[in-house]
Amino acid sequence: MPDTAKKPAPRPSPESTPYWKAAREHRLEIQHCDACGQFWFPPSQNCPHCLASNFTWMPVSGRGKVFSFVTYHRVYHPAFAKEVPYVVALVELDEGPRLLTNIVGVPPQQVACDMPVQVTFDDYDEGVAVPKFRPLKAGT
Amino acid sequence: MIEPSRELRDVCAIVGAGNSRLGRVPGVSSLDLLVEAMHNAIVDAGVKVTDIDGIICRGPDESYAHHQLMGARLGINARFSTTLDNGGASQILGVALATMAIKAGMASTVIIGFGRDSWSRTHSSKEANLRNETRPDSQLAHEFGPEYGFFGAVAAHAFGATRHMHLYGTTRDQFGAIAVAFREHALRNPDAQMKKPLTMAQYHEAAPVVEPFGLLDCSLRSDAAGAVIVTSRERARDLRQPPVPIKGFGSFNNLRGWFADDNMVTTAAKNSGESAYRMAGVGPADVGTAQIYDCFTYMVLTQLEDYGFCKKGEGGPFVASGALRMGGRLPTNTSGGQLSESHCEGMLQVVEGARQMRHTYPTERQVAGADIALVSGHGGNQVCHSTLILGRA
Repeated sequence: MPDTAKKPAPRPSPESTPYWKAAREHRLEIQHCDACGQFWFPPSQNCPHCLASNFTWMPVSGRGKVFSFVTYHRVYHPAFAKEVPYVVALVELDEGPRLLTNIVGVPPQQVACDMPVQVTFDDYDEGVAVPKFRPLKAGT
Repeated sequence: MIEPSRELRDVCAIVGAGNSRLGRVPGVSSLDLLVEAMHNAIVDAGVKVTDIDGIICRGPDESYAHHQLMGARLGINARFSTTLDNGGASQILGVALATMAIKAGMASTVIIGFGRDSWSRTHSSKEANLRNETRPDSQLAHEFGPEYGFFGAVAAHAFGATRHMHLYGTTRDQFGAIAVAFREHALRNPDAQMKKPLTMAQYHEAAPVVEPFGLLDCSLRSDAAGAVIVTSRERARDLRQPPVPIKGFGSFNNLRGWFADDNMVTTAAKNSGESAYRMAGVGPADVGTAQIYDCFTYMVLTQLEDYGFCKKGEGGPFVASGALRMGGRLPTNTSGGQLSESHCEGMLQVVEGARQMRHTYPTERQVAGADIALVSGHGGNQVCHSTLILGRA
């Protein structure tokens, strides 16, 4: 089957293009509102906290905790046939926003809600890197 | 909180209810399935199709102006017609909107329905079966999801189940009690898609899909349609069936997203239910039977909490007590629900709520003594919710 063995690369919207550009350089950057000082995600032109449209793409700590997670056993896309069982998680960054992601570097049965995690980047081909999260190492 | 209008309480009634053939119905389109259900509802009510002057309906997500397609097939024009876009919450919203339209003098007799060939479209090819997707590509996310292997509705609901288990110690045995109870109900319903008994051992043996959900936590893929007819109570007196009064309705939409706030463990059912209870002038203790949107087992458990049938966090012990079975404290999804009757985006829950309130079922299917039925609709990525409260005919 053509192409189906590749994981689908994200198709950025105009608003999310800077996010993926930073990710390609292994930086996690999200929008920070110049008016109210809050972060938000997913990317959009106006701050969902105050609707201001002046913002700065700002690097974040890359640390957070697992708000919740699930473990895929069923294969919905051929590229993930070799990945099951894999964990998809909702990670709440220390800065507030929640990101959908994978938890890597730990067996699925050891993932837990509220577990501290830190960002790591997975280089897909075509110059795309995808932020994922692994357990936060003690003392870091 | 704004006060729901009591002027809408008991002014309209459901006077007809119908379903199509359910399950695998090869060779019939979504639209024709719905015509089949609407025809059955029209015959059931004893109205002429030309008496209908309102259509509120929904079908497959890719159809444009679905109500136009249905009007053409029914061969009627309508004073009021539209298509709703709140996912599985649309169907009850349709009943609510019909009531408002009738009260406003914009229509007199409104048909509400949903139909989709979901079994056929997910079994049309190997690839379609793998993807298990009923929506067109243009409506799916292309970032912040697929690159992580995040596909399908199962996972989005499984997140809530994980979090609920973490916070309250809820168990898969408790989810299983829901699946087993609804299967028992389906076995009494000759139209139901699932025909074989289900034991707790079989529930646990079923393949894991997206943990914590296994196959039997997930609702069915069904070719299915359902429809009801709403009219004023005065007009209802001359019709064939005992009219089932619409006592109240409510809606709420957690538009910030299923992933935001505490929405995955406290759903929009809480606010939607409070509105409906106030309009109807009843509370959870008055409800004799519930028809709950059961896309997944866990969603029943959390909605029962949100509707006040037990406290938040106590849904597990509540469902495990046998409360949902016939003869239990709150017989729920008495036709088998979307887990065992057929998945029709909540429309069959409305149909079953109305049938229960007529009190014309044979003894083994009738919830004896139930004076109030609560029906829930839930959907649009776990964001939209609607509630319908029906009284005894």
